Amino acid sequence: MTAEEKTDALARAAARFRGAHKSRIAAVAAGLAAALLLALIALTGSGYTLQFSTDILAAVTLAYGWNLISGFTGYLSFGQVSFYGIGAYATSILVLRAGMPWYFAVCCAGLLGALAALVLGPIMLRLRGILFALGMLGLARILEVVFNNWNYAGASLGLSLPPALTPVSVYAGMALLALLGFLLNAFFAHSGFGLDAMSLNEDETAAVALGVPATRVKVIAFALSALLPAAAGGLVAWNRSYLDPSSAFDPTLDLETIVFVLFGGVGTLWGPLFGATVLMLVAEEFLVYLPHFELALYGLVVIATVLAFPGGIVGIFNRFGYLRRPIILAPAILPAGEPPQKRPPRADEAPVLEVKDLEVRFEGLTALDGVSLALKRGETVAIIGANGAGKTTLFNTIAGFVPPSRGEIRFFGRDVTRLPTFRRAQLGMARSFQIPRSMPMLSVWENVVLPARHGKERQRAVEHTAWVLHVSGLAPMWRDRAGRLPPGHQRQLEFARVLALAPEIAFLDEVMAGMTVEEREVVRAAIRRLPEFGVAAVVLVEHVISAVADLADRMVVLDFGRKIAEDTPQRVLRDPAVVRAYLGEPR
Amino acid sequence: MLLLQLLVNGILLGGLYVLIAQSLNLIFGVMGIVNLAHGGFIVLAGLFTYWFATTSGLSPLFVLPLAFVAMGLAGALIERFLVEPLMLRERRADLASLMLTFGLSFVLVQLALNLWGSDFVSVPYLQSSYRFRGLNFDAALSISGVFAAVISASLYVWLNYTLSGKSLLAASQSPTGALSCGIDVGRVRMVAFGIGVGLAAAAGVLVIVVLALAPQSANDFTLLAFVIIALGGLGNYLGVVAASLLLGLAQSVAGYFWGGNAEYVLPYLLLLLVMVARPQRFRQSP
Repeated sequence: MTAEEKTDALARAAARFRGAHKSRIAAVAAGLAAALLLALIALTGSGYTLQFSTDILAAVTLAYGWNLISGFTGYLSFGQVSFYGIGAYATSILVLRAGMPWYFAVCCAGLLGALAALVLGPIMLRLRGILFALGMLGLARILEVVFNNWNYAGASLGLSLPPALTPVSVYAGMALLALLGFLLNAFFAHSGFGLDAMSLNEDETAAVALGVPATRVKVIAFALSALLPAAAGGLVAWNRSYLDPSSAFDPTLDLETIVFVLFGGVGTLWGPLFGATVLMLVAEEFLVYLPHFELALYGLVVIATVLAFPGGIVGIFNRFGYLRRPIILAPAILPAGEPPQKRPPRADEAPVLEVKDLEVRFEGLTALDGVSLALKRGETVAIIGANGAGKTTLFNTIAGFVPPSRGEIRFFGRDVTRLPTFRRAQLGMARSFQIPRSMPMLSVWENVVLPARHGKERQRAVEHTAWVLHVSGLAPMWRDRAGRLPPGHQRQLEFARVLALAPEIAFLDEVMAGMTVEEREVVRAAIRRLPEFGVAAVVLVEHVISAVADLADRMVVLDFGRKIAEDTPQRVLRDPAVVRAYLGEPR
Repeated sequence: MLLLQLLVNGILLGGLYVLIAQSLNLIFGVMGIVNLAHGGFIVLAGLFTYWFATTSGLSPLFVLPLAFVAMGLAGALIERFLVEPLMLRERRADLASLMLTFGLSFVLVQLALNLWGSDFVSVPYLQSSYRFRGLNFDAALSISGVFAAVISASLYVWLNYTLSGKSLLAASQSPTGALSCGIDVGRVRMVAFGIGVGLAAAAGVLVIVVLALAPQSANDFTLLAFVIIALGGLGNYLGVVAASLLLGLAQSVAGYFWGGNAEYVLPYLLLLLVMVARPQRFRQSP
């Protein structure tokens, strides 16, 4: 790139940033103006208008709550109404039986909902995808039965609530909750924590390998998403002056919430607000003519949105360049970046990695059988072996994806055998995946800043990310969506994410598989440079032996889960046992 | 004798459950998606049967083949025009189709509500019972349980012992592998979804002669079927049979000793229990 081109590119980037910034300010201003207008209309209009405005705000609150766990974090829930019901009952009982002031009771109910989610989260969120969705559906049904039979809570007859709140105070309370929902969603759309959550939506396994504390992130997102419906439930119950199990745990409430978010744009900041407001207004106008088709119409909206415009309203805006989510933690212009500080080696240093007598069993099959391995600082070791020899299992076990049935893994003398995967990644044990697992909907920058962020202060993380993008050759496309990159760049991105962890040890799983000779040379050069990037030791799994023979200081040969040889490449390749494992017995 | 009687009732109920769960499992096994409209189809077919039997005075079992064919065709069309585009386009087709069938389930429920109202209804059919060695075999339950078991068994035989059935199994185990063997995986998905929905309709016909149904019970059946699949093992056909019988027994015992509420929540409690105790049962490949 010439100097001229560079300044040109920088100017364009800056202009784009200013443009994005401007549209953001405009959007916020428009949102505020609309909110103000709505407030004026609601407060000056008839009782009916006030009630309708309150209903819209309730829908917005529920939509924002659902969007946190199911939109950003990607865990579809068909049972957020559980928290709505819990909150509604908590508020009613606290006011009726304990005489608490209503606003205090609503706050307590919100916290109780969040607490319930904190308790349930670790159980429910172990399940991925479909199973979590159905588990939540089941939870709502269980709660309905429990409250149907709980006499203290009025059983199936429910509770009749004396008028304690004026409609205006319900409206004000709901407006505050909707605002809280907006702020929480804004936090998810702009913060590193939100990026962690979105990475789980993209590819949870890869996210964990990049140091994202998945369980903690999910449970927090779940608790926040439970807080909103729990607080809203109490307000709605008092507004209706009546509460019974079938209205508190009504599955149609989840349908409406999901329709609103989908229609507006799932996993976006403005989607829930637009979806809820637009659809509520439309329904108010048209359902008069079709009184008995509400469920069917909402169902059809879901079907049509999923099929025809999965991004919802915000997705359509995005297509024309509006309302795009700004790239998280990204500076306006890509800085030159700083390489990581080198940690000086100590004289009495323990080996970088020490694997002792590792055994892994999969239901009767012994995948690894007493494998030991040690790496000193500065070493590169290649692990070779036929298909099914246990190479990838060894990687998965060292990285923490597969628990060993016996043995020990030490990292700089520290026992990490029971440490969760994300902690190992944060400590500096980085792995690449055989098939690149970039997060396609996130930008290149976000893919790299995600692993770079953990354990560093913000500015360091930004500088480090920029440096990684420069050395891995991804700087020209740093704002592009990762899913749009061609396969060659995908592999570079996989490599960049390993560097982004600032690893002490890098595990590279068949990074050269399926490459042409020229492409291989590029990767081999990069691997040779790893020590100057601060990587203390490298482990390679490779099929193409010639590609690693001159890179590795040592070779380890696995055969049916056992180590059959370990020596310099030259000696290993002449070892009769190795030749036998690869070529079979001579006849 | 009482326990033996509960055992008989439980097994007959379990036979019905086999069909309810197997039809969902077929779709899940082949396509990797859960059809959340499953209960909607059951309820729709059941209520249609109620309407047919009460207006014509004929046996509800006449509806069985009709419901199977009509709903099966509807299911095939739904797959072709609504689900298939997602299977081809979406990276997370399982979640997208979950949304889609979630929407569909409410369309079906509304349809049933508008046609037949929200009351729980049941077909007064075969109120007698057979007696054998002091045990009562409730006639309606016996007939529907046995019918359901026979249909499920024919499904199993078709899947495992005929070429067309095997091509369906092949597509469920490895879509790419099946494709390279010359199996039109798209068509297999359509057939599987159609048969799954058709069998759900057949189950609906058999359910209404035994239990009272209302449109709002749709989700209960979806979840019931899902719990059974989860207990028996996703895509595991024989495991599902065992789990159905087990759940039928457990419900019949719980219903007798602790009443209808216990019977109703039992599947959900089991679901949560399995989630807590054996989460690896649900582990999907990462």
